[in-house]
Amino acid sequence: MDLPIRVARGSWQNWLGRAVLFGGVGLFMYRAVTEWSRSGLGLLADALIIAIAVTGLNLITGYTGQLSLGQAAFFAMGAFVSAMLVTGKIWTPFITDNIWTPGWTMLAAAVVCFLIGTVVGVPALRLKGIYLALVTLVFTEAVRAFFKYDRVAGVTGGATGIKGFSYLPPAWTGLEGRADLVTWFFWLSLGILIVVSILSAGLIRSRVGRAMVAVRDNETAAAVMGVNLFSIKTVVFGLSGAIAGVAGSLYALKLTLVEADVPIFGLFGSVTFLVAMVVGGAAQNWGPFVGAMFYVFVNDFARSVGEDPSGSIFLGWLVDEGTKIDGLGGVTFGVLLILFARFVPFGAVGTMRMWRSKAVLVVPRVPLGAGGAPSAEVLGEAGAVGPDQAATNIDRAEPPGLADDDPPGMAT
Amino acid sequence: MSGDALLTVSGLTAGYGPVEVLHGLDFTVGEGEIVVILGANGAGKTTTMRAVSGMIPRHGSIEFAGSDISGSKPDAIVRAGVSQVPQGRGTFTDLTVEDNLLAGGYTLKGSVEEDLDRWFEVFPRLSERRDQKAGSLSGGEQQMLAVARAMMSRPKLLLCDEPSLGLAPLITKELFRVLGTLRDEHGMSLLVVEQNAGMSLALADRAYVLETGSIVATGTGDELLADDTIKEAYLGVVN
Amino acid sequence: MSLFIERMINGLADGSIYALLALALVVVFRSTGQLNFAQGEIGTMGAFFVSTLTLTGLPVWLSIGLAMVLGFVVSAGVERVVVRPIEHRNPGAVIVALIGVFLAVNQAVAMIWGVDARNLPSVFPDDADDFVTIFGAPVRIARLGVIGVLVVVLFLLWLLFAKTKIGLGMRAVANNQESSNLVGIRVGSVLVLGWGLAGAIGVLAAAMLAPSAGLSGSLMLSPFLIASVAAVLGGLDSPVGAVVGGLLIGIVEAVIVGYVDFLGADMLMPVMLVILLGVLLLRPSGLFGSERVERV
Repeated sequence: MDLPIRVARGSWQNWLGRAVLFGGVGLFMYRAVTEWSRSGLGLLADALIIAIAVTGLNLITGYTGQLSLGQAAFFAMGAFVSAMLVTGKIWTPFITDNIWTPGWTMLAAAVVCFLIGTVVGVPALRLKGIYLALVTLVFTEAVRAFFKYDRVAGVTGGATGIKGFSYLPPAWTGLEGRADLVTWFFWLSLGILIVVSILSAGLIRSRVGRAMVAVRDNETAAAVMGVNLFSIKTVVFGLSGAIAGVAGSLYALKLTLVEADVPIFGLFGSVTFLVAMVVGGAAQNWGPFVGAMFYVFVNDFARSVGEDPSGSIFLGWLVDEGTKIDGLGGVTFGVLLILFARFVPFGAVGTMRMWRSKAVLVVPRVPLGAGGAPSAEVLGEAGAVGPDQAATNIDRAEPPGLADDDPPGMAT
Repeated sequence: MSGDALLTVSGLTAGYGPVEVLHGLDFTVGEGEIVVILGANGAGKTTTMRAVSGMIPRHGSIEFAGSDISGSKPDAIVRAGVSQVPQGRGTFTDLTVEDNLLAGGYTLKGSVEEDLDRWFEVFPRLSERRDQKAGSLSGGEQQMLAVARAMMSRPKLLLCDEPSLGLAPLITKELFRVLGTLRDEHGMSLLVVEQNAGMSLALADRAYVLETGSIVATGTGDELLADDTIKEAYLGVVN
Repeated sequence: MSLFIERMINGLADGSIYALLALALVVVFRSTGQLNFAQGEIGTMGAFFVSTLTLTGLPVWLSIGLAMVLGFVVSAGVERVVVRPIEHRNPGAVIVALIGVFLAVNQAVAMIWGVDARNLPSVFPDDADDFVTIFGAPVRIARLGVIGVLVVVLFLLWLLFAKTKIGLGMRAVANNQESSNLVGIRVGSVLVLGWGLAGAIGVLAAAMLAPSAGLSGSLMLSPFLIASVAAVLGGLDSPVGAVVGGLLIGIVEAVIVGYVDFLGADMLMPVMLVILLGVLLLRPSGLFGSERVERV
């Protein structure tokens, strides 16, 4: 048998492969719901929520190449909007007592974050790279400071935050109130992640998606070819913000409280989303999910190593029972991140694809157009390449030559 | 030309990642010679320069003044006496002209005042602009600066990567005149890769023709200038 | 009036610390185009090291010197062992690695020195009566000392860059790595040196800050963010910009805290955002940064 086996995209073999993949993940989820403890399931739900936010980040940073450290700001805004609406802190005359049903607050969060996101996209027209990243970072901390500001505490809760609300599972789900809260949020997060992922994948495949990638790869050339930089940057920033807003909203409703000072609403949160995106694989459809899962579960594992080192394989023989080493978990996780960046530099999904491509290679089907040449549909199918020149183009077996000194194209 | 060649390259293979650009080149440069490697875009000229200077991984044998430099690092190669004038000048645009020259003399121990004075004499225009930022110089001046900078390390062999690129014909003429002077008055050996066949072949003692990574012809400068295929391919003369 | 002077001097003193840290960030950015995310934490680690050394009886100035050496070594090590191999393969992954270093160092500090805050003695006389009077305002010697340290560091850096061969090498590498290779500069060594230098400066900044702010694991978290803003404001490849940015922010902070009641200290970030946007929209590469010309 000749490796790699070539499989045409869209063929039944391709669909079979996808079915296996989704089936596997589905099985995993099923087992989680039926067998895991509440805390484990809660952790999984957190991972899914983070994955939603990272899907948004992937749109603006992974595919459009605008490095954003502002995702946590939208996450926070979504969380606070939900909390404020659900507790009636904002005057909305068309709603009884100003108190919204939780489900609708998620939509409100998305709309508000979209609008603010488009405004944030404007500086992106002038600023590049690290400069833009830093402005978005400051934006994040500024938003957090705003929510802490005592002069608006009446609406935002100020230093103490907003508490005392919840989102009980509606009757039609068959779940029972408080007891099944975690299960409810698991399904809710999973469902929203699936919807957002499908929409995102659809966007990437469309003309807008190609424009986004063009902006990432060479902005000036893209503009010259007719891409409206203003529209792309503002709208995509808006979309990514909206998605993060929904994630934040979920987060708030699940936690039943919002408080400005938590790490995930600030620099730490933005960095978490970015790390999850890169670790999973930037500009990959499965990247956010894989990255978020990695982040949450490896972090949890690292923490448990710190809390009970005697139980771990590596240190068990060094340490007595019952000793707890402060900070060991964090050091472990930090080292793991470094090792990951070193040995899996293109992200988990990118690297897994590379390996899989040695066995099974998905090639574009080539429907012939009128003149016998490949039709225009196909030419757009080549797949997005990661911002870090990852081996994500599935028609290549390995990353393009990242040789020691010079990229190809400089040879004469 | 005396005895053993100054630079002997055999079986040079190099590329970028999975793409092999040079497929086993053989060429030599003797002492006091100007050797030109002629090639069109994509032939592998800059790759050859990079390989000799140790900037990219390479296979094959590269012998210079009796020692094997095929595995040496860039700074060792400079110390051995091989200096390069890169494509596009590569001047330190944020540094002054004088600082550029001082950087050129980085590998020298002790005072470089004399070298500095010598090259300011050879290039008086540079002396006039010694405190100006290199980025503000014209293309021709930057090319002179790049040559002077390369000479500061007291090399025996000067590599020039497409020196005429982007320069007006008059400036190019002056530049090649300077290169000739380096050979005649300063005892230098030069290896020049070029697309500009007319002027470079006139300057060359010997030349090679590089096509997609392989050497396809060799001869003296005059021989190649007179050759019909060369004339057609590189000089646009239709027979 | 005297209160104003006192506040301004304090602002300049805080600003000097931001300036020092921003300088460290700029030194690294100029040569490698990377923002060293872990710069602050290495500083914190150095400050804790100073504490340990002083507790064994060593004089403060010597302890700071030794801690700066530690900062140099750790930072240089990060460049050589973490950044360089990853940058080769995927420059985008370097951020993740540096975040990993940030986390590892931050938590290693907790691991080695525990989570309780402690005091760090100042290298300057810092008792209740150690102040001078300038135009009627009481100004603590320790605060003037910090500003003095900045001036000395600036002078030494100027000497290094303008007058030494190594400094020339660093400037060359920052401008054009490939040409630096071609003139025989050992680019790798220069990079290691640059990062090491930044690490030492970061430790110095932390050692200047800790006596007044208290020494804890979170010592440099906020200053790092502010120093990054200062560096960007001034232009990421401009040492002058870093200093101007740092001092400017120090003064703005003093003004807000002292004179703008309706905002208060916690609202520094929103103010920073406005200033940052204002400056960058007019000069996208910062006040003193150089525009990179892009060829399409």
